[in-house]
Amino acid sequence: MTEPDKKKDGAKKEAAKDETAKPLAEKIGFAKLDLTVEEVEERISPRETNVFDK
Amino acid sequence: MIQTASFPVTLVFPPQGHFTQPYLALPCLKAWLREHGFADVEVIDASVEAYDRFLTADYLARASARVPSLASFEGAQELRFEDMEAFRAAAESAASAASVIAGVEEAKRVLRGEDFYDPERYVPAVRTLYHGLRLVSAAHFPSQLTPHNFTMRYANDRSAEVLAATVDREENPFLEFYDSELLPRLDARPPRVLGLSVIYGSQLIPALTLGRLVKERFPDCHVTAGGGFLAYIGAKLMRAPGVDACLDSLVFHEGEAPLLGLCRALRDGGDLAEVGSLTWFDGGTPVENAPGHPIPLDRAPVPDFDGLPFDKYFSPETVLPFDINRGCYYGECTFCTLPTVIGPGYRTRRAETIVDHVIRLRDRHGARCFNFITDCMPPGMIADLPDELIRREANVRWWSDARIEPRAYTAEGARALYDSGCRKLLFGFETATPRLLKLMKKGQSVKSTLEVAENCSKAGISVTFYAMVGFPSETREEARATLDFLLAHSDVVREVSLQTFHLDEVAETYRDPAAFGIEVLDDPRADLQLYHDYVAASGMTAAEAAEAFDEMMAGFRANLPLFSGDNVLYFMQKSHYFLHLARDVHPDEFVRRCAERTNAREARGADPSLAPAEGLALVELPFSYADCVRTLGHPLARAVRPDFLTGSFVEGAREEAIASLGALAPARRVLAYANGEFVELRPDGRTALAALAAAGSLGELLAEAGSEAAEGLRAFAARLHRRGALTPRAAVPAAEFETQGVTS
Repeated sequence: MTEPDKKKDGAKKEAAKDETAKPLAEKIGFAKLDLTVEEVEERISPRETNVFDK
Repeated sequence: MIQTASFPVTLVFPPQGHFTQPYLALPCLKAWLREHGFADVEVIDASVEAYDRFLTADYLARASARVPSLASFEGAQELRFEDMEAFRAAAESAASAASVIAGVEEAKRVLRGEDFYDPERYVPAVRTLYHGLRLVSAAHFPSQLTPHNFTMRYANDRSAEVLAATVDREENPFLEFYDSELLPRLDARPPRVLGLSVIYGSQLIPALTLGRLVKERFPDCHVTAGGGFLAYIGAKLMRAPGVDACLDSLVFHEGEAPLLGLCRALRDGGDLAEVGSLTWFDGGTPVENAPGHPIPLDRAPVPDFDGLPFDKYFSPETVLPFDINRGCYYGECTFCTLPTVIGPGYRTRRAETIVDHVIRLRDRHGARCFNFITDCMPPGMIADLPDELIRREANVRWWSDARIEPRAYTAEGARALYDSGCRKLLFGFETATPRLLKLMKKGQSVKSTLEVAENCSKAGISVTFYAMVGFPSETREEARATLDFLLAHSDVVREVSLQTFHLDEVAETYRDPAAFGIEVLDDPRADLQLYHDYVAASGMTAAEAAEAFDEMMAGFRANLPLFSGDNVLYFMQKSHYFLHLARDVHPDEFVRRCAERTNAREARGADPSLAPAEGLALVELPFSYADCVRTLGHPLARAVRPDFLTGSFVEGAREEAIASLGALAPARRVLAYANGEFVELRPDGRTALAALAAAGSLGELLAEAGSEAAEGLRAFAARLHRRGALTPRAAVPAAEFETQGVTS
């Protein structure tokens, strides 16, 4: 790694450190997340059964 | 008696049939053959053996590797209707495969042991097996194998398609199963006669597949078949070009006498033309022999279940079937097809014989549970059988079908039935509309039906009603009245087995269509056609009846605890519900437990200790899985699949579905799978789950996330808790969670 690259890398690490130091809420912004949950009905339908049962 | 040890006979119950208990026909045939000198008779339940083989970790791992990747859907501008099933299969497999493979052996252990009775173990186990079968299906797309059925892209009512299916190695999972499991076993003892018992339409393709393989591998083996479904379509099947590559003959009606006659003729060089009720190929031409005589049922031997894989049924206790009579003493119902299956006439065993056989089977197999096979127990037997079971101290638990007989199912009669071990009876209720009951010639009133049900229920016997929707001329209002009636009496009627009316060739409704106000439509290309479309002069169309069916099922699910929640295998015949009753759990108590469990699940909230469930898998999707499943659940989309009862396709259904249901636009989604359930999130949901895993618990995440986000996170967590994706437990370490998450 060249000297300028090393410097760049160091700056990146500093930035990452700053990011880590931020509170989780600020980092992720929970209030803005789309937390939609779509439930999927996943059961065997009685329609899907054999009815000749003799 | 002359014993013929050098004449091996193999009788096979082909896939797909119920996996909770053995089928009766083969043990009856084996006993009859052995009693008449054929000592070397082997019975194989290839259906349960296939289920057992498919539901293993190594098979599922191979199946998973065969499922097309989700990558093929990335970058697509839209998800076309015709690609939705494939997308669904790929998405489900990507999300569930690792968890299903890891859990399948434990799931089988749960269903076969004492843990079966713990719903917290039973429900996830059943779901794991169900999703295991979806994985098997995805590997053979578009074939579908469920616990209750098997269908392929091929129509069951067209012989050319059926025969094509028997050689389709990509989509017919049974070819590989037979090659690797069944044929090597036959090599060790090549049969001279192979008998295939085909009861259900779902067995037709797997049976002919096996017949073809056996004929190729064992040219000296005579392959015959019989059973309920073939009784309907057998004559047509034998006339279909190419079927002689799979079968040498076919037995109609009751199998004992024809099969014995066939074995004797083959062993002794006799004339096949002399065997009653047999249709056979004479130089490639089918020859239909005259009907033979039925056997004297009361003198038939005890069914011989030896050799069946009792440890492989998906139940902690084996329920043994036993036929107390054959045929129907009533025989008037206009929709009934029974005489075609079993042959004309009605025969019964005496109560003494029945109990003698039951006790012998009980002692031989350590069996406590019985399914008495009957279409209608005559009034005399309703009194005699309990008396004899009690007198002989049989101490068994049993269930059976029954006909409404008000004079027999009195309060006192019902108590005797309970005391004899009866825990569940299934009655043909059909409809709450007297006009339709008359048209069906049921010979029963709604009032007397309810009285019988109440007497049984008070005695502690669980009552199931068979109900029908869409009988010719039935209106939507009449169907709703039936639903209302059943819901109003849900304290008496615990289960409803609802079916849509199908017009089949052997019922009076088909033979005399004018009497029912219908015009029958034929499909000339369906050379194996059993069921027919029709136009009704009044009442619901078949499509409207299908809608009414859905409406009624939704009503049952919302109101009958056995149907609500996630009680996958509790309802329907041969269900696991009976095994709880057989432990003398009162129906009220079982229903209470079901309701309690469902309510507790729905009441799950944002417990601070919530963390990602063990094994939670997340898959990124380019389209919405939920929208895809909803689209595929539309009646027009369902009509594209072969009908689950008839195995036939609706003409033009695919084109109509494509035109009406359109395509889905791209949408980034995340599919989560845990504890046997799928739930769909937005990409942000994945971020929140990763943060939750990193925080260790919901409580800790909420503390970090700030008050502004709390409400949304709590609602998110509560919903995932209800669906099993989050569980209140010690947190999964963040690193572990990251590796569990699967990305496409």
